[in-house]
Amino acid sequence: MGIINRGTIHLTVFALIVLTFPFWFEYTGGYAGLDTKIIIWAIFALGFDLLLITGYLSFGHAAFFGISAYATGLMLLHYSSNIIEAMIVGVVVSTIAAVIIGFLTLRRTGIYFSVLTLAFGEMFHTAAVSIFSGLTGGENGLTGLPTPTLFGEKMQGSNVFYLCAIFLIIGFYLARRITRSPFGLMLKSLKSNQTRLEYIGINVQFYKNSAFVLSSIYAAVAGSLMVIYEPYVATEFLEWKTSGTLVIMSVMGGVGTLFGPMIGAAFMLYFENVASVFLEEQWLLALGIMFMAIVVYLPGGFVDGYKRMMRHWVKKNQA
Amino acid sequence: MSKKHDKSKGLTRRDVLKISAASAVAASTPMFFVKDAWAQKAIGNFPVNGPTVTYGFNVPLTSIYADEGEDELRAYKLAVKHLNNGGGMVETLQPNALKRNGVLGKKVEYVVGDTQTNPDAARTSARRMIERDKVIMFSGGSSSAIAIAQQYLAQELGVIFMCGLTHSNDTTGKDKRRYGFRHFFNAYMTGKALAPILSKEYGKDRRAFHLTADYTWGHTQYQSMKDFTEKEGWTTVDNIMTPVKTTDFSQFLTPILNSDADVLILNHYGKNMNNSLTNAVEFGFKEMQKNGKNMEIVVPLYSRLMAKGAGQKNIEGVLGTTAWNWTQKDDDPGSKAFVETFEKEYGFPPSQAAQTCYVQTIIYSDAVERAGTFYPPAVIKALEGHEFAGTGPGKTLYRAEDHQCFKDMLVVKGKSPSQLKGKYDLLEIVSKVKREDTVYPVDTFPGELGPYEPA
Repeated sequence: MGIINRGTIHLTVFALIVLTFPFWFEYTGGYAGLDTKIIIWAIFALGFDLLLITGYLSFGHAAFFGISAYATGLMLLHYSSNIIEAMIVGVVVSTIAAVIIGFLTLRRTGIYFSVLTLAFGEMFHTAAVSIFSGLTGGENGLTGLPTPTLFGEKMQGSNVFYLCAIFLIIGFYLARRITRSPFGLMLKSLKSNQTRLEYIGINVQFYKNSAFVLSSIYAAVAGSLMVIYEPYVATEFLEWKTSGTLVIMSVMGGVGTLFGPMIGAAFMLYFENVASVFLEEQWLLALGIMFMAIVVYLPGGFVDGYKRMMRHWVKKNQA
Repeated sequence: MSKKHDKSKGLTRRDVLKISAASAVAASTPMFFVKDAWAQKAIGNFPVNGPTVTYGFNVPLTSIYADEGEDELRAYKLAVKHLNNGGGMVETLQPNALKRNGVLGKKVEYVVGDTQTNPDAARTSARRMIERDKVIMFSGGSSSAIAIAQQYLAQELGVIFMCGLTHSNDTTGKDKRRYGFRHFFNAYMTGKALAPILSKEYGKDRRAFHLTADYTWGHTQYQSMKDFTEKEGWTTVDNIMTPVKTTDFSQFLTPILNSDADVLILNHYGKNMNNSLTNAVEFGFKEMQKNGKNMEIVVPLYSRLMAKGAGQKNIEGVLGTTAWNWTQKDDDPGSKAFVETFEKEYGFPPSQAAQTCYVQTIIYSDAVERAGTFYPPAVIKALEGHEFAGTGPGKTLYRAEDHQCFKDMLVVKGKSPSQLKGKYDLLEIVSKVKREDTVYPVDTFPGELGPYEPA
C-alpha cells in the first residue's frame, strides 16, 4: 500500500470538510460563531467516544471541560491574554483532576461508574458556585476576560475558527490512530469481556485509566478553546447538563464510530440555534421526541442510519 | 497591521466575500453607494443596507424566568408595530423624533431568541442575531447575570444592547458597559425606597433573616437591603444564598424557624420567589409570633406576574417595590397609551418587564432618529444624558456616566382577596416614590463604561 490508502483519504476528506465549513455553512442557515462552537463540541464529543468504546459511560465529563475552561479563564484574567500558557495550564489542571477521578471511579463498572462520575461532576459544579465563588465568580460566571491573543494576534472570528479546526483535525487523526492500534483494540476488548482480559494477565486498570485520561484531555482542550472563542466562563460548563448533552450527542450520532458523536454535536447545536427559531419554546420538546425515536428505532445513531441506507442501496443495485 | 479592516481582525473570510461582492457592484454601478456610508467607520452591523432594519429580542422562553420573558416578547412585538405604524408611546413620548414609518425610513423587523435563563445560551443566541440576522440593536432580560454577559458581548461586537428587566446594581455599576443601557431601576433604589416604609410599618427594632438568589442580582439586592434596613435600626440576623435552580426551599426555611428573626426577606425573583414564598406560607410564617411581634415577609422586588404565580392568599400584605404597575394608566398619558394598546392586542394588561422592554425599544429608536444615523457611537451619545417624558409617570433621565435611568418607582403591597377589582388587580400601591428620592452619586459603585468604538 502506498501513501494513498483509505485512512489518508478519510483524513483528507475530513480535513477539507472542516476547513471549508464556514464557507458553505452560511448557506444552510448557519452563521459565523456557531461554526466555531460546533467544532469545539465536536472535539469534546470525539474524545468522549474514546471512553465510550471501552463501555464506560461517564456522566461527569463536564468536570474536565469546565475545570479547563475556568483554569484558562483565570489565566487569561490574571496572568496574560496569551492563549498558549492559558491552554497549557487549562489542560494540565484538568488532566490532573482526571487522573484522580479516574483512579477513584474506574474501580466500578456500569451504572455505578456513571453515578460516581455524575457525583464528582456535580461536586465540582457546586464547589465552583459556593466555596470557590470568589475565584470563579459564582453563578455569574467569570466575566471581564480580555480578548485572547496568540503572538500578538487577536483571537476573534475566523482566527478562532481555524485554531479550533486545526485541533479537531489533529484530534481526529490521533483518535483514529489510537482506535486502530493494538492499544485501541485493548480498549475495545474491555467492553466485551473485562474478566477474561484480567485472567490472561492484562493490567485492565491501566487501560481503563488511559482511556479515561485521554478522553478527558480532549474535553480539556475543548473547554479551553471554548473560553478562547467566547471570553467568558459560564457555570453551566461544569453542570451535569453539559455532560448530559454530550451523552445525547454521542447517542444520536452513533457511539464508538468517532464520526458519529461529531455529527451528533453538529446536529444538536444546529438544531438548538437554527431550528429553535421556528419552534420558539417548543424546540426542547422536538429534540426530546427525536432523541427517543433514534434510541428506539436507530440505536446506532446517524452513522448506523447511513450504513443501513448504504446496505439497502447496494442490495437494490445488486438485485 | 493595517487598520483598514473593521474590528482590526485582519482579512476574514467575510471580508473576502464582502470585498468581492462590493467590487463587482461598484464596478457596474459607481453611483450605488450613498455618501454617509463612507463617512463613518463600520461598527458592528452598521451601516444598515436595504429598506429594513432588524432588532433582536433575546428573552427567556424557557426555565425560571419564562413568564417574564413571554411578556417581554409581547411588548417588543407591540413596540415594533407602533414604530412602523404609530400608536402607543410613539404618540406620547416627549421630546419625540419618531416618524411612525419605521426608523430613519426603514421598516423595523425583528428576530427572537431564547436565553433559556442561562448566560452561555444567551450569548450564543445573541451571536446568532448579530452574525446571521445582522441586528443593529438587541434587547432582552430577566436575569442580571445574563444581561451582564450580553453587555460584554455588545461591547466586544459593537452592537448596542438595551437591557430588559435587570435589577442588579452591577449592571450599571461594576459591570457597566458603553454599549449597554438600563431603563429598569436597581437594587440600591429598592433598598432606599423600601427601608423607610418597612420601619414605619413594622417598627425600628426588627431582626431580619435573608434568603438570597445566589448570583449578581441577589448579592447586590441583599447588600442594599441590609445596608438600608440597618440604617433604619434593624438587625440582620443571617443570610442564606440559595442556588438559582432551587425549587424546594424548605431546607433553607428551617434555620429561620430556629433563629430569633422576626422578618423574612426573600431576595428572590420569578419562579424562585413563587416557590420560596409558597414554602414560607406553608411553614406558617405568616401566622407566627416572634419576639412578641408578628412575623413578616418582605419581597423587595415584586411584579404582578410573580404575585399571580405565588397566589393571592400568599402575597396578601407582603411589601415590596416595583418599577411600574399597569394600574398607573390613569396617572399619565404614556402609561395609558401603552396599557390600552397592549390590552387591545393581547386581552390583558402588561407587566413591569413588558413596560421596560417596550420603552427601551422606543427610546433606542428615538435616539437613532435624533442622531440621524444608526452609527452606534452617535446613538450612544444621543442616549447619554437624554431626558424624556411620556413613557410613564414623571420625567426619566438616562444618566450619561453609568447608563442608568432615573425615574419614579413604586412601593407596593399584595392585596387581600376582598380588595380585588379584577383578575389582574393584585398589587396595592403604598407609595409613589419620586425620582429625586432614589438618585445616588455615580461613584457609589465602581466600574468603567469603556470606549465608544469597540476595540
